[in-house]
Amino acid sequence: MLQRVWALALVTCKEGIRDRSMFGILLFALFVLGLNVAVAGFFMRDLGKVTVDMNLAALSFAGLLLVFFICINLMAKDIDKKTIQLVLSKPFSRGEYIFGKYFGLVLLVLSTLALLLIFSSATVAGVHAMYPTYFEGFSWSIFFLAVAFIALQLALLCAIVVFFSAITTSSFITLIFSMASYLVGVTLEEVLFYLKSQAAAGEVVASESLRSVLEVVAWLVPNFAAFDLKVEAAHGLALESVRLLTVAGYGFGYILLLLWLATLIFRRREFN
Amino acid sequence: MCWRRVGINSLMLLVILPLYLVLQGTSWEQRAEVRRTSPPGYTLPAAFSRVLAMGYQGLLSDYEFLRAMTFYGDRSIKQQQMSSADWDFFAYSLDVVTDLDPYFLDPYVLGEGLLTWDTQRYETANALLRKGMRYRTWDWQLPYYVGFNHFYFLSDYATGSDYLMQAAKIPDSPAFLATLAARLAYYGGKSKTAVFFLQQMLAETNSEALRQRMGKRLLALQGAVLIEDALKQYRNVNSADPEALGELVRSGYLEELPQDPYGGQWTILQNGRVYSTSKFVDAKSDNQGN
Amino acid sequence: MSEIVIDSLYKKHKPGLFKKPIEAVSGLSLKVPKGTVYGLVGPNGAGKSTTIRMLLNLIRPDKGEVRIGNKSVSAAANADFLQAVGYLPENPYLYDHLTLRELLRFAGRACGMTADQITARIEVLTRQTGIAYALKRRLHTFSKGMRQRAGLCFALLHDPELVILDEPMSGLDPLGRKMVCDLILDLKQQGKTVFFCSHILSDTERLCDKIAILDQGRLVREFETADLRAFRADERSLEDEFVAAVGEVH
Repeated sequence: MLQRVWALALVTCKEGIRDRSMFGILLFALFVLGLNVAVAGFFMRDLGKVTVDMNLAALSFAGLLLVFFICINLMAKDIDKKTIQLVLSKPFSRGEYIFGKYFGLVLLVLSTLALLLIFSSATVAGVHAMYPTYFEGFSWSIFFLAVAFIALQLALLCAIVVFFSAITTSSFITLIFSMASYLVGVTLEEVLFYLKSQAAAGEVVASESLRSVLEVVAWLVPNFAAFDLKVEAAHGLALESVRLLTVAGYGFGYILLLLWLATLIFRRREFN
Repeated sequence: MCWRRVGINSLMLLVILPLYLVLQGTSWEQRAEVRRTSPPGYTLPAAFSRVLAMGYQGLLSDYEFLRAMTFYGDRSIKQQQMSSADWDFFAYSLDVVTDLDPYFLDPYVLGEGLLTWDTQRYETANALLRKGMRYRTWDWQLPYYVGFNHFYFLSDYATGSDYLMQAAKIPDSPAFLATLAARLAYYGGKSKTAVFFLQQMLAETNSEALRQRMGKRLLALQGAVLIEDALKQYRNVNSADPEALGELVRSGYLEELPQDPYGGQWTILQNGRVYSTSKFVDAKSDNQGN
Repeated sequence: MSEIVIDSLYKKHKPGLFKKPIEAVSGLSLKVPKGTVYGLVGPNGAGKSTTIRMLLNLIRPDKGEVRIGNKSVSAAANADFLQAVGYLPENPYLYDHLTLRELLRFAGRACGMTADQITARIEVLTRQTGIAYALKRRLHTFSKGMRQRAGLCFALLHDPELVILDEPMSGLDPLGRKMVCDLILDLKQQGKTVFFCSHILSDTERLCDKIAILDQGRLVREFETADLRAFRADERSLEDEFVAAVGEVH
């Protein structure tokens, strides 16, 4: 079983890497990385923070482009072009198909991030060498941890993509719903805590029911902000292992649940 | 058929292309004019910015800070005065930047540099710095700046000393802080303390503009200290103040009367301290704001 | 012993949201004995592809049962029964950016073959289908005929006992058609079961042991060995009988 899943993952990843759009995404990311070397000089003291901000933004945004355009396409093409009939004619269970495609997407994201990380580390080291006195708080280990959690965020997003692909035939709907899930997941924490602080301060900004709705949403949509270590990486702030392990567990748990749901739904699908 | 193509190509090259180039140039000139007379600008309140940043709050804070810096730089290069509304916008921008990323050092440094010296908004600067102190708990510079503001601008020596002590307690802070705090507490208003403080500040500051300003002030204060010392000696001997400061030179207590770099005349205050008609401010500077 | 047993199969199909459902397959029953070549013919929309999809559990029947090797397909606990099945869909669409070799390696690994077995089979099959020269090329550069051949290799890579082909001759030039015919006969000689549907009556008549005519989801006629002998001897015409059979229902 593992060999099958791995074979499908490999094929999916290869298909994605050789997509022409990869070129554009890589070019964009490299452009931003190069830009950060120029931009750092505009600032006064906190150059380490600015460099890290731009690097992590480049990696994270490239990852988003990768997931929203290439990964969704990889899932949709199978069904649109009926390649899935070829795959399912081999002894793949529906669950093995879902997991195989998912691991292929994650493999694609990880390998792209790894490549970009090499360039990113080079630019960070470069700016560090140019302005050594302004990198006081910087820590390579926290920087790499932040990248690892960006990867986890993207893996979560891939699971969401796979889930919606299992439900609907239209790749456009998958795109819209995945983007919406991401937007909600990223802003949910800010909005919820803002409402809570307003309520505590006695200013009623929105009704109670809005808060309750948002709290329900918080159970359904992953809180992407929890995986965001950009501030800590920018300033070299300490990270506790308990917090990291909890977040990682939260992420993996959500991924497993979502893929399981996707499998259940996928079992009922018919392929014409 | 062929002629039509030639006709279209000629039209594009000889008419449309030059027209575009001219219009492009005109459009950019118009933009420069529009920007010159434009109102200060607007920044979204932090709560909205944080949500709209969608996980990129740090990057947004960098961008907003660049905007604030170039806004000030723009006015400064064109030698335009910053109006009160301009300063409002500037101070608010720094507030938003630090709400997006409260650990970001640059806005605090810039805020300290400009909000105090240029526009006398001491409480605004202090509030900003205090916000930074809550987050940048390892950074001795922020309480140091607050202490300096209290001492130098607000003449509140007790509070200034408190803040300096806070700064001194932070590990890896420079050794002189504790001493300075103690001096502040005891000597308060003496010029020698101010000289010492300024010398330290100069050592910390990189900005050329600020260094010039501080250097000038230092020169003025050193002149004041020189005169004060001579005065003290005179009083010890003669039990009275001299009629005019020139007396000190004539009687040999001073080699020569130091120049006030701000171009004013030295005066002696009621409490015996030496001051200047220039009030240690540049004559043509036109600071507004509170 | 029957390799495939289709028992009273029903499948409704909804052409649109508010339209009435059409019966794609209606009360279909047939048996495919082991080691035979079985041909399914019929006009467009007769339900041939639908039937084949139900054989592979790509869609589930509303009523009735499909058994392969005496095990029920729709009630299968997992997809292991496909280990012994090879499928070529109509107009196969392959992964654009893979090379032919990568695609076939995938086929082999999906069926649990070892690397050596895979390499050996790739060699044999690509030579037999005539695309050995294109092993290193990306699939998006393949012509329709090449894609059809690649699909065949994909279906046969793991040497399945049952081979299901949906319009195997489509897109092939006469040389290609001959290649497929030779291939099917070769499979028959190896004792495999072949189940295919086709529009090309001449080839069907030449290759099959049994032929079924499907129309509007129903089995209209079934021809056995004796009938086929007559067709091959030109005593009867399959085409005429096809037109007659289909004309009856319309």
